[in-house]
Amino acid sequence: MKKTIFPIITILAIVLLIFLPYFIGAYLLHVLMTIFIYMTLALSWDMMLRTGQLSFGVAGFFGVGAYASIITCSRFGFNPLVSILFAGFFVALIALGLGFAVLKLRDIYFSITTLAITMVFSVIIRNIPKLTGGASGKVIPNVIFNGDSAKTYWLILSLALITILISEMFNRTKIHFAINSIRNDEIIARSSGINIFGYLLFVFIISSALQGIAGAIYTQQYGFVSPETTFSLDFLLLPMAMALVGGIYSTWGSVIGALVLGFASEYLKLIMPYGHLIIYGIMIVLIILFLPKGIYGTTKDKIITHKIEKKSLSE
Amino acid sequence: MKRIFLVMMSLLMVFSCALAAEKPIKIGAVNPLGDITGDQATKAMKLAVKEINDAGGVLGRPIELIVIDDEMNPAKGAAAIERLATVENVDFFVGGMGSGVHLAQVPILKKYQKITVWIGAASHQAEIAMGPDADWYFHLHPWDYQQGEGYGVGWTEIVHAYPNVKIEKVFLAYEEGAFGTDSYTSYIDLYEAAKRGEGSWKEILKEFKGASFKSASLGGGDYRAMLNQAKAFNPDLFIWAGYDADAIPIVAQAKEVNFQPPLFVGAPPGWPADFGKNPLSENVILYGMWAPTLNEVSPVAKHFYDAYVEMWKEEPATYFAPLGYTNIYFLVEGIKKAGSLDKNAIIEALRTIEYESPLGEVLKIEPSRIIKNQGFKYQKILQWQKGRQEVIWPLELATTQLVYPFKFGK
Amino acid sequence: MLNLEKTNKSLKKTLIAFIIFLIVVGIWKPLALVYGIQRGGLYSLIGLPLALILGIVGILNLAHGDFLTLGLYIGYIFFNSWSIDPLISMAPLFFILFGLGMVIYSILIRRVLKAGHLNQLLLTFGISMIIIELIKIIWTTRPRSVYTSYASSSVTLGNMSIGMYEFIYPAMAIAVLVILQLFLKKTRLGQAASAVGQNPKGAEIVGINTNVVYLVVFSIAFGIIGVAASVMLPRTPVFPLSGNPYTLKSFALVAMAGLGNLNGILIGGITLGVAEAIVQSIPGYEGWSDVVFFGILIAVILLNAYRRPES
Repeated sequence: MKKTIFPIITILAIVLLIFLPYFIGAYLLHVLMTIFIYMTLALSWDMMLRTGQLSFGVAGFFGVGAYASIITCSRFGFNPLVSILFAGFFVALIALGLGFAVLKLRDIYFSITTLAITMVFSVIIRNIPKLTGGASGKVIPNVIFNGDSAKTYWLILSLALITILISEMFNRTKIHFAINSIRNDEIIARSSGINIFGYLLFVFIISSALQGIAGAIYTQQYGFVSPETTFSLDFLLLPMAMALVGGIYSTWGSVIGALVLGFASEYLKLIMPYGHLIIYGIMIVLIILFLPKGIYGTTKDKIITHKIEKKSLSE
Repeated sequence: MKRIFLVMMSLLMVFSCALAAEKPIKIGAVNPLGDITGDQATKAMKLAVKEINDAGGVLGRPIELIVIDDEMNPAKGAAAIERLATVENVDFFVGGMGSGVHLAQVPILKKYQKITVWIGAASHQAEIAMGPDADWYFHLHPWDYQQGEGYGVGWTEIVHAYPNVKIEKVFLAYEEGAFGTDSYTSYIDLYEAAKRGEGSWKEILKEFKGASFKSASLGGGDYRAMLNQAKAFNPDLFIWAGYDADAIPIVAQAKEVNFQPPLFVGAPPGWPADFGKNPLSENVILYGMWAPTLNEVSPVAKHFYDAYVEMWKEEPATYFAPLGYTNIYFLVEGIKKAGSLDKNAIIEALRTIEYESPLGEVLKIEPSRIIKNQGFKYQKILQWQKGRQEVIWPLELATTQLVYPFKFGK
Repeated sequence: MLNLEKTNKSLKKTLIAFIIFLIVVGIWKPLALVYGIQRGGLYSLIGLPLALILGIVGILNLAHGDFLTLGLYIGYIFFNSWSIDPLISMAPLFFILFGLGMVIYSILIRRVLKAGHLNQLLLTFGISMIIIELIKIIWTTRPRSVYTSYASSSVTLGNMSIGMYEFIYPAMAIAVLVILQLFLKKTRLGQAASAVGQNPKGAEIVGINTNVVYLVVFSIAFGIIGVAASVMLPRTPVFPLSGNPYTLKSFALVAMAGLGNLNGILIGGITLGVAEAIVQSIPGYEGWSDVVFFGILIAVILLNAYRRPES
């Protein structure tokens, strides 16, 4: 009974999401689009986290993807959708190259290096104005789909759904065991014959490509890039917060976290025009203190404990 | 006496009821409330709205101002426009400050094509993004390239009016982000034009050099390498384009490096709270659109200043305050002149209005490089003297004489 | 985690290379050397407390720079309201921030010690947001400053004007480093702290009260932040994000020096400062100084990783 309900609910939810543009207005659609972009970033960050590596490079791959898309569009006349795919591929290539150097590092060294790489990307791009427009950035004459909200929404929705799919695959197939074991203890993992570097590289490339595609789509939606806005650390810190608040090491955690923090940040300011970010910060602090496994993580635990109690009572 | 008072009160009540019974004209504003520019622009707009409603509203209807914070974030700024257009159903868009935010809003503004009177976005990129066909778009803030052109006009007039002032070598220190770099590009264009004998700097500018620095607002704050370059160049006029956080450190470090150009000019979008109190501020020249001393030469400026202080119990500290006030009044004058809410009528009316603004000059619409409806073109040249920002140019609005050459305060 | 066993030989080698580097730069670009030592000293001074907290307590404090900002505002208030010179406010600032550290540790940090790095990271991120927004509400985003006549003092050598004030940064960094090393090696509490840093579980078994150690180390680190704020105040504009960029720079320094290597923070900080200053002094290439900063950082981390045996 349970096994058939779940897929049905999922399909219903997806259908609802697809038909959403016909029910809700442009504003809510816009908010959802932003949330889905952040959700993709949160999920892709979490994927890397499951291997035990805390990556601070999200904003870097996001930015490179954005620039790859805009440059191929405006200089080489690529079709916007093609440029987005190209951006993903380009970022994947960069991740492949970087991976060989960087994936030997662990802990804070890996984190700081990925953050440093983000800064290096941003500054290099700022200093080659002939290609990238330099500090002033670049504008393209037409945004994707000429600003049609529904089509842009479907594009972003597809990205989010694909990311959720990939995340679930990582959590269900045998990749799940390999990744978990790498995260828990690399020495044991290696002695079980797991190719640690291979798995890390694989996850690194996939998560970076997703981040690059997210950057490309975001930039095509608004039609401009600039080093300050496109490489903003908001694209790193907010997705991290969303994944942590929702519950790490799980798909639903990032989804819930993105929805909660995303809607909160938009609607808090309508209620409290001044100082709403304090409430946002307090929310984060309280959730970390009282729900250390995140919203989804803690709820899941409670449900499991409840079930165990029920079972032991009925025995 | 009491009876007259009662009659007046009831008349006023009936009047306001009649006003309230009419559906309000809705104006949507998107400002960065977390920054002093957006905060004070909003307050000034609310002041203007209150004054207009107290005077009877527009076309017999009150105006309602709805303000949403753009949080200086492009996606949020864009979402704010969507909300104002579709949820709040506003008739007009006003406000603005940052260029990056505005670039994200441009595609959405084009979607709805409501009359937009914008006081932000100095970057020419925004003009390129908007394009030449947006008849409904009015841009009041001077573009980056216009500002540089204005200073050429200003300094040329000053050189004629003050015979001992010489300006042939100019050094520009620009912050390495979009804001500073746009300044640099504009100056390079003006310099190239001057070399060909064209443009507003042609009479004075002979040599030009620029160097970038990292603004203190963005993690920098050490200008000494750049200042040493400036010192070696030995300019007649040194100008820095950065942010308010750079204002004091740059003068302090210039003193440390022993670099004392005859004209020390700062061009940040705003100034620190206590710059005037700092001895280092003496005789620093600044580019800006407004200063409190304008109260002495412009009755409109004085009225705005006093009304703002009375309503908000604080002083306006940035030109975005009088600019926000101008924003609302200009739009409202246009609606009044058109006599209706017909879009084309209002566009025509706005193009012909001349509004005496609290910035001390008259606002009228002319085309700029790409768009058709540009408002203010030039800023002003001011100088800090004894803790006050005095106007030096335009000469008609000058509040005092220029002190030259620049020497470090004690 | 704290590794105090960098052998004397390796330290001597690094020190000699470092001094040769400084001499070469001094001959080639003397002003860059001066500015680099001054700014680099500031990076070191601000990096040391982060190294303490990360090395011994094990917390990634994303609000590090924002507490520095808080210190700057408090110093500004002292100056503005009671005309207290910034350098004199060093003592009260140390104690005020020490106390603040105790409060923050007891109320917030203690609860997430067992929850893992990520939760600590997110907690400090939330704290950072709260601090910045509180400051914005109370004081707005407009920068303020403190004026002292000695902040722009300089000495003229030939046609070079060398600023004197900022030498206080490397001076304080060295002083703090020396005091910290003495504390960690010679006092009982300090030795307990090193033990906890190297092996928290082992230290508990031996009977060390890790909680007290964490509390004291955390508070001392905050106190040093207060000291840094007081010396920065005469030369730094005070606004909500004044200190924020130093969080990243401090993390970079700690990663470059290696966890537990306090001496490395001083050497690394000054090296990075000098490298930045060299790039900034090349006309037309000022914008590349960040690339050099982070490039050196990445290079050092990678070199160390490939030299170290796989753990």
